Amino acid sequence: MNQIVSTRNLSKRYGNVFSVNEVNLSVCEGDIYGFLGPNGAGKTTTLKMLLGLVRPTGGKVKIFGKELEANRRYILQNIGSLIESPSNYEHLTGLENMRVVQRLRDVPDKNVTEALKMVRLEKQKDKKVAQYSLGMKQRLGIAMAMLSFPKLLILDEPTNGLDPAGIGEMRELIKSLPQRYGMTILLSSHLLSEIEQMATSVGIIHNGTMLFQGSMEKLQARSRPAIRIKTQDHAMARELLASRGFFPKVQEDSLLLENITDSQVAQVNRDLVAADIDVLRIEEQTRSLESIFLDLTGKGNSL
Amino acid sequence: MIHAIRLEFYKLRRRFLFGMTVLFVCVELIWALMAANMSFARNPDRVGWEPVIAMLTSLNGLFLPILSAIVVSRICDMEHKGNTWKLLLTCSMKRERLYAAKYICACAIMLSVCAMQGLVIAAFGTVQGITQSVPGFLLARFMLGTMVASMAILALQQWLSMVVKNQAFALCLGMLGGFAGLVGDLFPAAVRKLLVWSYYSGLSPIAQNYTGNELQFYVRNLSDSLPEVGGLMVVAMAIYLAGRFFASRQEV
Repeated sequence: MNQIVSTRNLSKRYGNVFSVNEVNLSVCEGDIYGFLGPNGAGKTTTLKMLLGLVRPTGGKVKIFGKELEANRRYILQNIGSLIESPSNYEHLTGLENMRVVQRLRDVPDKNVTEALKMVRLEKQKDKKVAQYSLGMKQRLGIAMAMLSFPKLLILDEPTNGLDPAGIGEMRELIKSLPQRYGMTILLSSHLLSEIEQMATSVGIIHNGTMLFQGSMEKLQARSRPAIRIKTQDHAMARELLASRGFFPKVQEDSLLLENITDSQVAQVNRDLVAADIDVLRIEEQTRSLESIFLDLTGKGNSL
Repeated sequence: MIHAIRLEFYKLRRRFLFGMTVLFVCVELIWALMAANMSFARNPDRVGWEPVIAMLTSLNGLFLPILSAIVVSRICDMEHKGNTWKLLLTCSMKRERLYAAKYICACAIMLSVCAMQGLVIAAFGTVQGITQSVPGFLLARFMLGTMVASMAILALQQWLSMVVKNQAFALCLGMLGGFAGLVGDLFPAAVRKLLVWSYYSGLSPIAQNYTGNELQFYVRNLSDSLPEVGGLMVVAMAIYLAGRFFASRQEV
């Protein structure tokens, strides 16, 4: 598949601290790419560098196969974005705000109507933005980002400030965009559950470093259940299983066997009993995506 | 570029900037014209265009730096408040173009202020029955001097308003400028020349001088004023370019 966004060793240093450190991001056409990381991980700085709002300390950015530095105008004309808090003119109405972006993007009136309809703001469009709730401002920001129905939509924490119903609607809207308009979506969040429900690809960043990048299936594969076996004598059991071609990990007071089929579990059990090693417990241990995320980003860190 | 300037004016909707500007200038004009009217009543033999123009240039030194600060601050503040720098820059709007559009927008408002003042002076003189015909050339010189001084001040104010989010600093500078514009003529010439706010009276076509106890008005030679007009335009351009350079380097 075509790479829409690719970065090579993208870095940003503030003083002596790397906010983003040699990140190689890869977003393919038609993807919903979830950019996941705890607060302060470097998500927004990376997205700002993709949009030319922050100058990288090092590395290269390619969007639509072109270097950002040399093709800034062309690239930005084909990107819609919502970074951090929504940008709007509070003294103007929602519609007037859309008109400002319409003039900047040079798009027809029907785009304004359609974008407002998509975020369900058509009835509040004549209200001043100062009178909007945070959720309405967020929806207006998304409508402004989608106004030109760009090839690439970059959304930084798009569900911030939305109520549960609004989050659900926004999720469905974002999921429908690649099919309806051929858009590629790059969205960041610190909420794994949100990304899990929308994204087709994931990148996990922590302390400015990319820890994982790949398809959602690849991440979910890490959450396949493992078999935990508790015996009377772990040392002997490990030795025996190793001789049978199984290499369990020792975890606390148990042995952990990963990627093992049901028939193999039965075989292991038979072998242990035959060798006079008492099997005290066999249980399935499932790992949630959340625990994988916590493992990757370091336990105990606040998300 | 015209597109960007029109967009700036569109964004100023509902900010009451034009109404506020007219109100502000009206207060100044009423003050100046009442003072001129009282002067004419006391000295009927000195009724003429020169005192009216001189009175307004003096008050411009006080009012227009403050008005410039307010106008520029309103134009720049909406971007800070609405967090819209990101929006504009990601819509492939160049920082330099945005800076220029805001400056031209502020200059256009101040130009309309100058034109309004010129028209009101002409109307006032006609109503007062000043015997000489409307001095078009003097009024044009008055408007040119006022505009050039305003351009330098607007460049300075825009630099500050763009770089510093808190517009209280820009408004404070405007008030200090108003004070400097009012008392600038009292400073030695070398100091006065360094204060951009003092050029409202410095570039006025009418100069005032005391002869004994009597205040005399005389028309300055155009050839004496032109180098100062040119010099101030260069200073305005230098301040504009420096402001644009620093504002463009800021990350959003």
